[in-house]
Amino acid sequence: MRFAFTEQQLELRGAVRQVLARECTVADLRAMALGDRHGGAGRTHERWSVLAELGATGLLVPQAHGGLGLGELELVGVLEEAGWAGLPEPLLESAGLAAPLMAAADAASNGGAGSVLGRFLEKVAAGEVVATVGGIDVTSAGLVTTTTPSPEVTQGTVVTPRVTGASVAGVALVALNLPGAGWQLHLVEADPDGVTTTPSIDPTRDLGTLEWSPWPHTLIASGERAEAMLSDLADRAALFSAAQLLGLTERMITMAADYAKERRQFGKPIGSFQAVKHHLANARVALEFARPTTYRAADSIARDLADRSAHASMAKAMASDAADLAARVALQVHGAIGYTWECDLQLWMKRAWVLSAAWGDAPTHRSRVLSHAMAAAAER
Amino acid sequence: MAMNVVVCVKQIPDPAAPASLDPVTHTLERSGKLILDDSDAYGVEMALQLAPTDAGNEVTLVSMAPNGETSGLRTALAMGATKAILISDPALAGSDALSTAKVLAAAIKRVEPDLVLAATESTDGYTGTLPVQVAELLGLPSVTFAKSVSVDGASVKVERQTEAGYDEVTSPLPVVVTVTAGVVEPRYPSFKGIMAAKSKPVDVLSIADLGIDAGQVGAAGARQEITDVSEAESRSSGEIVVDEGDGAARIVSFLEQIKVV
Repeated sequence: MRFAFTEQQLELRGAVRQVLARECTVADLRAMALGDRHGGAGRTHERWSVLAELGATGLLVPQAHGGLGLGELELVGVLEEAGWAGLPEPLLESAGLAAPLMAAADAASNGGAGSVLGRFLEKVAAGEVVATVGGIDVTSAGLVTTTTPSPEVTQGTVVTPRVTGASVAGVALVALNLPGAGWQLHLVEADPDGVTTTPSIDPTRDLGTLEWSPWPHTLIASGERAEAMLSDLADRAALFSAAQLLGLTERMITMAADYAKERRQFGKPIGSFQAVKHHLANARVALEFARPTTYRAADSIARDLADRSAHASMAKAMASDAADLAARVALQVHGAIGYTWECDLQLWMKRAWVLSAAWGDAPTHRSRVLSHAMAAAAER
Repeated sequence: MAMNVVVCVKQIPDPAAPASLDPVTHTLERSGKLILDDSDAYGVEMALQLAPTDAGNEVTLVSMAPNGETSGLRTALAMGATKAILISDPALAGSDALSTAKVLAAAIKRVEPDLVLAATESTDGYTGTLPVQVAELLGLPSVTFAKSVSVDGASVKVERQTEAGYDEVTSPLPVVVTVTAGVVEPRYPSFKGIMAAKSKPVDVLSIADLGIDAGQVGAAGARQEITDVSEAESRSSGEIVVDEGDGAARIVSFLEQIKVV
């Protein structure tokens, strides 16, 4: 089989790079990092509408709901560019996770264009509403809910911590796991009073805790169907985080390599010393090994192959490792300046740390790969 | 009334990549991948604003490039242009501005446009003479350095940038107008646009298709020849005066020397 991106996929990616080079500059990121301390959201709304005009927000949304109806392979390229540019907005969560989840729930409920989900989906595709997901995390033992307390009855307030994009999202798909009743997935509309901002190590990350009430009308899936949808979500989360990590890693290596050519010691650029070169080469090797596993996972999920979960976990494990290594190497190559706020490296490094740990870190995903391999062996 | 607008677009080597000159002809190497000249994005955007294609208007791109190159045209088609005409012919290698103007004029004539837009000059050649040559060959009026363009019925109103400010110029259609960078903010090609651009028609023509004689164009028809290329002389560094109490006097004597005081 031909395993390369099509010309069109490369062009879409190129368009994102061109747009973000102008709309998401280092100066923008710095303003946002400082602004967050003062409660501002930077140019988030402006940037989001440019992404919507481009078509990125509705990339996975079916055409019937105003989206482009494209697949995971296209979004992977877009998210790599988002990583490269350090895009702070929750494109991964909105376009990559919430949108396909809403589309699946809508299709299962036979909603059609007039349904509540369908209407939200159209707004998400058009960029009028940012969507996010919460209440779920990936562990080596399986999916766990972060929503507490699990209420005995569906009425009552529950708390869902660490929701990305909490303050800009107009709608959130939130999971909870009720003792005895199993998984539930709720569609929660934004309530500014119900959001408490959580500080993140990455100052441009919009993180918050949601306080909300589950009601019968917010429930969009439950039981086995909810579980299947959340397992699907976990695969995508691993895949798309991996894609964004590839872009972050590429940027950190580029920054470090550029610095190594510029910074002189003993009368020569430090990049001419083997001890520096080898570090950078190791990071590059880790990145280039992670890349094809991410592309394979995208292909497996797009075609819904049986191995899709194993492939997604492999991608996330390798991309997280590559990002962690690149962050460490880039920091070391930069020397003391790398630790400072003034050095741009920090913007990408902190993002990489956060994303490498999100949706299951490398050891978690390695153990998931192992479980899949053992299960496959047992079947033989 | 539906408008028919032609935009002259040039596909140039990526300015971000190092450029090289042919060692024999001293002309710019254009054999690699070419991209849409940034300065032409303004003309394309202006055309799309004056003649929205979803309202039945037509925006046709006209370009001349070697090796059937269409990458830059695809970018402009993705922005929303309707179709493109590319003139690509080995006989065109070494064309000067006038030869290029003859070729573009012949192609533009086929479209019978109401308005022809072009950039004031290309980013790789910088002659800035082509649009007016095209206008002359087509027998059309031309208005240059537009910083604003509006169409009203059968005439065009242009604010023409000058050193002191701007002139208001009105001309009957059809007319050739050159637009400055910043006349409008070019849109980004959207994903939908990029996908749609694949199926938009690009007419690739040879000079024979346009009825042009090979002797009139290319290196054979060129009225200019580049005989030599040399590096720009580096400037010598200025004199540094260390003030030893006589600084002011020495500055005054220098100013007297160059007859400023």
